[in-house]
Amino acid sequence: MAQPSVTEERLEHLKHYFIDSDQQFEASKMGMWIFLVTEILFFGGLFLAYIVYRTWYPELYLLASEELHTFWGAVNTVVLIGSSLTVAMAIRSAQLNQIKGLIINLYITIGLACVFMVIKYFEYSEKFAKGILPGAHYSYEGIAHEKANIFFSIYYMMTGLHGIHVLVGIGLMVWLVFKAKKKVFHSGYYTPVEITGLYWHLVDIIWIFLFPLLYLID
Amino acid sequence: MSVHHHISSAKFLWGVATSLFILTFITVFVTWIHIPEPWNVVVAIGIAVIKALIVVAFFMNLWWDSKFNVLLFVMSIAFFLLLIGITLLDTLYRVDPVPSF
Repeated sequence: MAQPSVTEERLEHLKHYFIDSDQQFEASKMGMWIFLVTEILFFGGLFLAYIVYRTWYPELYLLASEELHTFWGAVNTVVLIGSSLTVAMAIRSAQLNQIKGLIINLYITIGLACVFMVIKYFEYSEKFAKGILPGAHYSYEGIAHEKANIFFSIYYMMTGLHGIHVLVGIGLMVWLVFKAKKKVFHSGYYTPVEITGLYWHLVDIIWIFLFPLLYLID
Repeated sequence: MSVHHHISSAKFLWGVATSLFILTFITVFVTWIHIPEPWNVVVAIGIAVIKALIVVAFFMNLWWDSKFNVLLFVMSIAFFLLLIGITLLDTLYRVDPVPSF
């Protein structure tokens, strides 16, 4: 039998149908990984569309990607990797019972995610102003290729879906901050922080592929 | 209870992030020196794959995780590659791609 610890063990998070906190944690984490599998295949369809059209129109991709600003794409890559670091630090803080550190790291992550979205907003509005819109609404004359709208339909679908994921991530992180302030999390229970972190890292990985595939063609 | 969760040190996490920043710089840098086709694509995808594996292994902690979760991840990639492979077997060998596309 384990000795009763000095700080009383908190078990209010433990559902009656689990044997212990560990089993509950592992079950949640596995559930999240299964969800991430569906996310990979979800984005996979769009990556496939990208690949098929790139094999059909390689010259289009070279021309069209000149409209994308490598500098801002690179800045956003650094911003997202930085936010992955702060999420990992948030999880570490929770594991060590440092709730203040957890909240600070979540705030920095939310801030970096907002920086990402602001940069994306300026990129989109610059293109909208030029008439670079998806599908039939495309009216830009600056790319000498009749299928130019196809590249940008793929661009908007991929970065748009990714952007929605970033917004959802911001929402989840705000929710985590509220829960952390209510002292819900401690070293024995931080499952929502852990699985939100897994989600956030996947969003980072998607961008790690989008950046070279869309911005770095030349 | 909950003693065997892996806790990374702050130094380690900063090291992981730094390696990702360096790889981001390299992937931008190689576009300046203009590697000839098709190797530029191979290098760009190769670096992205390395970065993704670093994130999966050391930020998402799959390195220390249960084998089952590793299997889930590997299978998702396997099926994604199958999707690409089978589709390309069609689209690469069409005489005339879908006319209106």
